[in-house]
Amino acid sequence: MSTEEAFADAYRTHYWAVSRFVARRLDGQADEVEEVVAEVFSIAWRRRADLPDSPLPWLYGVARNCLANTVRGLGRYRRLLNRIGNHEVAHRRGTVESPDAERPGSWVHEALARLSPADQEVLRLTAWEELTIEELGVTLGCSQSAAAMRLHRARGRLRTQIDRMRATVSVQAGGYRDA
Amino acid sequence: MRDDELDLLRAVDPVSSHEGPWRERPLDHRAERALNQLLFSTRRRKVRRLLVVRAEAAVLAIVAVLAYTFSGPGAQAAVAVPTALHLRTDAPSVSLNVLAHRAAALAKAAGPEDGPRRGSHVQSWYMSMESGPDAAPPVTVPEERITRWNADGGGSEMVVATDPRHPGRPVIHADEDGHWHTVNDGKVLHHKVYPAGSEAQHGGLASRTRPPTNPDGLRELLGMLYGSGTGDTPQLLQALSSYRQEWTPGPRETAAIVELLASADGLRPAGIVTDRLGRRGQAYVYTGHGGSMEGARQMIILDPRTGTLLGNEITVTKDLPDYKIKAGEVMSYEAWMP
Repeated sequence: MSTEEAFADAYRTHYWAVSRFVARRLDGQADEVEEVVAEVFSIAWRRRADLPDSPLPWLYGVARNCLANTVRGLGRYRRLLNRIGNHEVAHRRGTVESPDAERPGSWVHEALARLSPADQEVLRLTAWEELTIEELGVTLGCSQSAAAMRLHRARGRLRTQIDRMRATVSVQAGGYRDA
Repeated sequence: MRDDELDLLRAVDPVSSHEGPWRERPLDHRAERALNQLLFSTRRRKVRRLLVVRAEAAVLAIVAVLAYTFSGPGAQAAVAVPTALHLRTDAPSVSLNVLAHRAAALAKAAGPEDGPRRGSHVQSWYMSMESGPDAAPPVTVPEERITRWNADGGGSEMVVATDPRHPGRPVIHADEDGHWHTVNDGKVLHHKVYPAGSEAQHGGLASRTRPPTNPDGLRELLGMLYGSGTGDTPQLLQALSSYRQEWTPGPRETAAIVELLASADGLRPAGIVTDRLGRRGQAYVYTGHGGSMEGARQMIILDPRTGTLLGNEITVTKDLPDYKIKAGEVMSYEAWMP
């Protein structure tokens, strides 16, 4: 299989997984997600010679770098939108209250948000992208043992936050029954 | 027993793989097209790429190309932003309802050989807006694209650098690595012939789905393919642009398009134009507020005799000095040919 064919195969197989990866982290509208995903695969295309046999964790790694650039660029993008009109994206970004706030389980998101960005990422990759320790190492660019240690510590810290929040909920609701 | 923290986290995954816009499924038309563009190295710089801000190095590279181009004593590249089409209001306008009747009459008289035809012939230009506040003047990327699919599943795609406003002069083109350089007018940027039976592999869902001949079916299809089913006229116009890149409608499909446009909110006759290919057309402009294209004027041009889609033009409605863009400047245009 040529590198072009391998790339096309990876694209077809993993396009939606990469889209979900971006959508989870960008929290933006569909157009924004599509733009970033397009950029991810554009970069992956230029680096197609490096495409591994199991490309998904590698693609996630490319997407992580791409998102970092995009988040920096979003400030500039929003400035432009504000200049050409009160674009709905600009409004949406300025909204303080999120629908998530009323969604069951939003406290789990809040617990996650209290962790460091590095802890959050290793937990998201494990729970939402369902990566193995080995794949985690590829995406994060570290060894398996380092990835395992990072996950172990992040899980512990999330557990602590969840327990704290449950205790808070318990006090507010007049009692918490541990399932 | 306490919940595992990873199980809790899994339960609140904000993006599902089973439902919603990012669910697992075969590639949609946009994803297919993006893949084809990568594979066949026909990258296009569209206005929508605003979001992805290029590295400063890339910006400087563009500036360098332009500086050289502007200052060079030899052939000048076609870098000026095109002038917006002149709207003539001295002639009576044709309303979309009247045009819908004309198109419907032609549809009734159409025979089985009158389309639709898969593929398209498009002349287009898009302003480059990737260079941000420190931008050089917007770069032109004019091209002419012909895509054909045959009954046997074979086809061809050809992209030529060309600018009808400046025949014979070089045009700026971005190569597959995103580097800008000038190429001669008429240079073939991409040419690919697809063997019989390969259409299913290369064509996306949109190109495989024969367009409906009724407005409701068309609205539903455009909503499914391009997410334009919310009644947002600007989105509908963009969806029609995408649709027109995949298909060349016949009279029956054209009648559905015009009737759909006649029912769209905020679309008003704006005058008669002579488009960049020298064709006379009736222009309709979206006059509503809000929606996905606030800050820009969308114009669609139809043949006043038949309702055939001739082209579109998007212009900025406010000065953007940081971006060296002035109100009234063209952000993009497309001219669709038979």
